[in-house]
Amino acid sequence: MALTPEDLAALRRQWRLSRAVAVPLSLFVAATARLRFWYRLPGDIGRIRAEIWEKLDRHDGPVIWAANHLTLIDSFLVYWAVFPMSRVLEDRRLPWSTPEYTNYYKLGGPLKSAFIRALLYACRCIPFLRGGEDAQSEAWRQKAFDKCVWILREGGSVFVYPEAGRSRSGWLEAKRPKDFLGKLALEVPSAKFLCVYLRAEGQLAATVRPPDGDRFRMVCDLIDGALPGETNPRQISRRLFDRLAELQLEWWKGSALSRNCGGNDVVDLKAPLLREHFTDDLADADCEWLERHLTAKELASLRARRPEDFFRAFWSFFCAKEAAHKALARAGLVVPHAAFREIEVDLFRRKAAHVSSGLQLDLRFTDEDQDKLHCVCVLRGGFIGDSESEGDVLWKVAEVPPGVSAGSFARELALDFVAESNDEIGRASALALSEEGGLPTVLWRGEPRDWSLSLSHSGRFAACSFMIS
Amino acid sequence: MAFMRKQAVVEAADLETLTPEETEKRITAGVKKYATHEANYAQADANTPYLGHIVGMGIESSNLADITMSIERQFLTKMTTKAPVAPGSADFKLTAGELGKLRILDGQDALAATPGLSVKMLMDLGHMPRNEAYLQNVMSFAYVMAVGDGWKMADALRKMTAKAEKLAGPERAEALANLRTLAAQAKDYDLVLADPAKLAAAKQKTFANDKAACDALNNELSVALDKIKGLSAGGDAAALAKLRTEEAEIRTRLKMSAAKLRVSQEVAEAAGRRRPVEDAKVDSVRKAMQEAVVQALKLS
Repeated sequence: MALTPEDLAALRRQWRLSRAVAVPLSLFVAATARLRFWYRLPGDIGRIRAEIWEKLDRHDGPVIWAANHLTLIDSFLVYWAVFPMSRVLEDRRLPWSTPEYTNYYKLGGPLKSAFIRALLYACRCIPFLRGGEDAQSEAWRQKAFDKCVWILREGGSVFVYPEAGRSRSGWLEAKRPKDFLGKLALEVPSAKFLCVYLRAEGQLAATVRPPDGDRFRMVCDLIDGALPGETNPRQISRRLFDRLAELQLEWWKGSALSRNCGGNDVVDLKAPLLREHFTDDLADADCEWLERHLTAKELASLRARRPEDFFRAFWSFFCAKEAAHKALARAGLVVPHAAFREIEVDLFRRKAAHVSSGLQLDLRFTDEDQDKLHCVCVLRGGFIGDSESEGDVLWKVAEVPPGVSAGSFARELALDFVAESNDEIGRASALALSEEGGLPTVLWRGEPRDWSLSLSHSGRFAACSFMIS
Repeated sequence: MAFMRKQAVVEAADLETLTPEETEKRITAGVKKYATHEANYAQADANTPYLGHIVGMGIESSNLADITMSIERQFLTKMTTKAPVAPGSADFKLTAGELGKLRILDGQDALAATPGLSVKMLMDLGHMPRNEAYLQNVMSFAYVMAVGDGWKMADALRKMTAKAEKLAGPERAEALANLRTLAAQAKDYDLVLADPAKLAAAKQKTFANDKAACDALNNELSVALDKIKGLSAGGDAAALAKLRTEEAEIRTRLKMSAAKLRVSQEVAEAAGRRRPVEDAKVDSVRKAMQEAVVQALKLS
């Protein structure tokens, strides 16, 4: 779909107007960030800006801005962090943005809505519609894409979030690239990607805006768009996502928070106490007891199962919740004991959601058989793995020898397993377990390791998991 | 459909006729079959945690709901009349009415980590009269958790020392490097336990996280309400219905978040107020940690 002369005239008009107000708008953005929300940029922002602008100055062509996405005001924040006031008159470098129409263009009453629309217009926004599979929505998306291509071909800059939405896990997952930016780069081969990973220190989940008063840290780089010979958008997007993932790792190296947040849980399906609240045929259970563990949605999903699957399905929910509980605790989100309904599990999509923060976690059931269930869960730090890729979580499930304490056995199992998984470690005696804040942590060479060790035992079984990312 | 709960039938007793000590005994007896650490269970008192194997009864997380349900089965209360928490609200609280089955609502048991705290929960919810003499010997949830972490640390250090003692050569050197770190961690934690203000500051971090989460949800709600306001004029019924669902979901999340915030606020406050019962428990875990540190440092 080609842009009409009217579309082009409108874009040129918007470009002229935004150029005229670039200085006051940049001041407004910086003042709001600093004085309204008390946000702070990193102490070395001058050095970071100098490095990235040196690269930008060496590239005369168009630029596609690609950043991680966690809040509704990320575009303003990234612009504030990257763009020094001294560069605001460099018109071609001022990025155009693609905000989601339903999130921004109909907010509040007529006055507020008009103000926001005017602000977005002056800030070079092209409304984008992510939802909807109908022809009209498709046409809207295509037109927005064409506008981005036109701007880039004119030598301008466009800001697009490669993940196509705020990350529900708080983690940019490189293994799930989206094609939009790859397509854009193929259309404009002279464009380069400005990769930015900006995040407030206290930002745990996707929110409207970062916590007030928080300090940001940023890592960024300018990389090639479409390389000679690259013809597949996925190939380009994969390269872009890989670079963003590297920047993400770099960001986390400077963070006081645990990067790797995973957990596991094992359930011995033959443990007698597990059957207590079930009917003798295990096809149903005490409603009150079920309701203490499951949300309404989970309960409906459980009730839709075949009677012979009922018992196993219930404990699958439970196992997933326990694994998610441990992954969340690692991120500093303590789910109170017995608050089972604070975590909602979707066994079909293999996802768990922390209801109050909205964080989504990935689940994977392993080593399942008639006797046991084992689930691993990842919030952030690595990929959980799928049929195509091994992922960044390693786990082991074993039977507890008779007469041995299950807890001690789980600990020994974990140390042996970690040691045998890494040639450099070699033997379990080189490792130790510490208990910090109630969470087990592996020590190696006297240093606590961010491997997100998780231990579990139930009846005859013990299990452990850790992350190698 | 009838469910055969496979436990001994107990006759439910009116909570107002029982002393706190009798209530505590019944609560402890009610969880016997879930306790996997028999020795700790046999010596259990008001301050023995249900969970954990070092000083706790060894109850597994899969039986957490059973603790609450066991308490519900054993007692009768006059707090049985459902009343909405606010006019028009679907959420309810229990107020005075006819004597009937005890109900512990979602989230009300969040701090009931020991039999003593379960009794306190029943008092706080108005199911039985408040008894300050009893409560002064019940450790707060904050200290149950803090002391439990101390026991875990001391246990890990002791085990590591014992293991390192048996090693020789480069293996011993590697183990000693880890041992020194463990000892340093235990020393640091000992200092935190020694000072209620430091412990309170540590717990304040969780409270700050929960507060930030609650604030973030309030922002989320106001954006959802703004979207509804913005769409109301347009008359897109389907989109409006979707936004109303989103609003309801955020309100549910906000309710959960607020409940959690109350818990972490209580924990942060309680951590800064140390009473004699907590002093005694803190002293004993600090002693265990210090002894473990001495043994570890002797070896290294």
